[in-house]
Amino acid sequence: MSKTDFSDLTICKDAQQMLAKAREEGVETVWDRKRAQEPHCGFCELGLSCRNCAMGPCRIDPFGHGPQRGVCGADAHVIVARNVGRSVASGAAAHSDHGRDLVETLHAIGEGSTTDYTIRDPEKLARIAVELGIETAGKDTNALARAVSERLFEDYGIRRNSLAFIGRAPQKRRDLWKKLGITPRGIDREVVEMMHRTHMGVDNEPVNLLLHAARVALSDGWAGSLTATELSDVIFGTPTPRVAQVNLAVLKEDHVNILVHGHNPIVSEAILAATKDPGLIKAAKDKGAAGINLAGLCCTGNELLMRQGIPMAGNHLMSELAIVTGAVDLIIVDYQCIMPGLVTVAGCYHSKVITTSPKAHFSGAEHVEFSLDNARQKALQAVGMAIEAYSGRDPKRVFIPGSPVPMMTGFSNEAVIGALGGTLTPLIDAIKAGQIRGAVGIVGCNNPRVKHDFANSELAKELIKRDILVLVTGCATVSTGKQGLLMPEAASLAGPGLSAVCRALGIPPVLHVGSCVDNSRIMSLCAALATTLGVDISDLPVAAAAPEWYSEKAVAIGLYAVASGVFTVLGVTPPVLGSSVVAGLLTNGLEGVVGATFAIEPDPCKAAELIDARIRTKRLALGLSA
Amino acid sequence: MVVKSVIIRPELCVGCMQCMIRCAEAHSESGVLALAVSEAVLAKPRIHIGVGPELRPFPNKCRHCEPAPCQEACMPGAIRSDIAEGLKIVDMARCIGCGMCGMVCPYFAIRYYPAAQVAGHGAVAIKCDGCHERVARGQVPACVEACVTGALAFEDVNRHMNAGVNRLANAALGVTA
Repeated sequence: MSKTDFSDLTICKDAQQMLAKAREEGVETVWDRKRAQEPHCGFCELGLSCRNCAMGPCRIDPFGHGPQRGVCGADAHVIVARNVGRSVASGAAAHSDHGRDLVETLHAIGEGSTTDYTIRDPEKLARIAVELGIETAGKDTNALARAVSERLFEDYGIRRNSLAFIGRAPQKRRDLWKKLGITPRGIDREVVEMMHRTHMGVDNEPVNLLLHAARVALSDGWAGSLTATELSDVIFGTPTPRVAQVNLAVLKEDHVNILVHGHNPIVSEAILAATKDPGLIKAAKDKGAAGINLAGLCCTGNELLMRQGIPMAGNHLMSELAIVTGAVDLIIVDYQCIMPGLVTVAGCYHSKVITTSPKAHFSGAEHVEFSLDNARQKALQAVGMAIEAYSGRDPKRVFIPGSPVPMMTGFSNEAVIGALGGTLTPLIDAIKAGQIRGAVGIVGCNNPRVKHDFANSELAKELIKRDILVLVTGCATVSTGKQGLLMPEAASLAGPGLSAVCRALGIPPVLHVGSCVDNSRIMSLCAALATTLGVDISDLPVAAAAPEWYSEKAVAIGLYAVASGVFTVLGVTPPVLGSSVVAGLLTNGLEGVVGATFAIEPDPCKAAELIDARIRTKRLALGLSA
Repeated sequence: MVVKSVIIRPELCVGCMQCMIRCAEAHSESGVLALAVSEAVLAKPRIHIGVGPELRPFPNKCRHCEPAPCQEACMPGAIRSDIAEGLKIVDMARCIGCGMCGMVCPYFAIRYYPAAQVAGHGAVAIKCDGCHERVARGQVPACVEACVTGALAFEDVNRHMNAGVNRLANAALGVTA
């Protein structure tokens, strides 16, 4: 085990150096665990295993020698469709439960039952109130907060059977959903119904199951995630463009280093405020540190990056490697995408892991439970624990590689439209003129089954070369940011049209639009473009890609994109190939149903070609140049 | 010369059937699971999991006997010893699918299916070929690579027996290894 070259696992120098350090220090990482799991289960890879009931577990033999039906009689198609349905339900549940926490926060602010949070963008709250048909006259901000949150609570119930923000989707799209019977009715309802349908003996028709999966996904994209985005903006401020920094070198050797990891800004914003507490800064200095340094991981990192310009230490696969620097004193997490292995890695160093959510405890971590009425106090406590932990740091084991890379962030739709002078017209003109041929959202995760950051960043490079504007969220932000693509200077890597637009506006060719719930921003922008042009989203020269996806949330995102009419390329094969019906529908048949499909293409150059061909077709159909 | 073979320890088998699926993958036209499951003529596994008392799984495959009853019963001479040393390999082009080899096989290790390698033929005898092509490339047989519990191992039978003697000695003399 003398491996020292890790370039086959990751393109990032900082990651390679930390993998070498981990190997030297005998620290097991996600890549080691992935290797130990190989070969993965062939039935599961194809989606052909079912554990939904105790008559099984069952597997279908894809080679036709063994059983072709489970004990209940379900065939390969039913089993694969049920498994897809449950994945989508889990992913949508994750985003939507995150959204619910923000509705509760807004409600508590409105009720005056929390003073730890305030409303930083009351204008956006008022705009949302108008959008939701709430009478705003004579209502102060707190009254509006109550009214908006009460309306959004209804999205999580079954009283209304319609979702607050669904009117954002173009009329043509809503008509299509209605015709197909997939208009989402309630956020929790669709998820619960999917769990019901996939119980043994309920929905046993694969197409019917997949249509409901689309409805579940739409309840995420146009409600659960969208609510999370919009209310985070209301409470913590709508992002505006600014420059921040990315990679492991944002950690500071002479500072107390705190990482926030997870998804919801409710915790990370409280921590950010606590790091500015003069008493704690003094306490850090008393311990010999130069100050307190906060950096982000994953999506809660994206939330702080977008709104506050807090630096990003890394994405999903960097979370353990950040600890391997030996310089992280405290890592504070809420929920989603936090590998349990993180606690084990932290145990190899002085680093402390603190969990905060009653929904997400981790064995071996310390739990400091945050709630709406104690967040400020608990955040101060957590930062105090980081300062304590700093005393235990072993300077001989500290190695922070390289230097930080600058990246531009903060491109909310409001900021984009603001930069365009208040309307979408300049963007539409640039698209019509072919300067910007189209737009692609590169979203999603890292996955140790593919080379870390390679496909995310290479696809972005290939697309901007072709005058296709790229929007990034989630872990793809860090992948592209570390390669310098999120700076205006990257315009030199773009085709002539896109490059000229970027130079004129002083923006990068790859725009950071937020965290994974903020994919809803991309949907809202597509909807606004389509409505302005009087077309459907599926008519637009746009696409999506999740080159390194791993999570069930990504499955939900991919499906709401497709069900909204956006062609979506996946870089990692989803577990559907065991059913020709399901795989055929997802990669082909859906085109005739919702006007878009998935494609599976791990090679980023070939993925760019597929997207380019799609954009060409859509442009020609709109009467534009290819 | 040391000849390694696939050694089965049924007491370690959990019945996951990964060996079967990876065997079929390895003998498919594409050699890639994601593609193999949609080939026109599906490859078939050459190792099978039987079910014993209390549903205990029992991995079973060709032992490559010498002399081999299947080879002796094969009238067209389709079961050959001259393709890879120590292995009895079905030459599908010669197989007439008569079923004699299956009738005489004391281990029930042979199945009959159409094969992509002889498209247009009827069913031919499908049995373990020792993954001789993989082994020549320096890989272990596909079933062994797939086995996560160690129920299948690719090793020199004599070394395996020696290790077994040591385990036996430890048990007999009351020493835990």
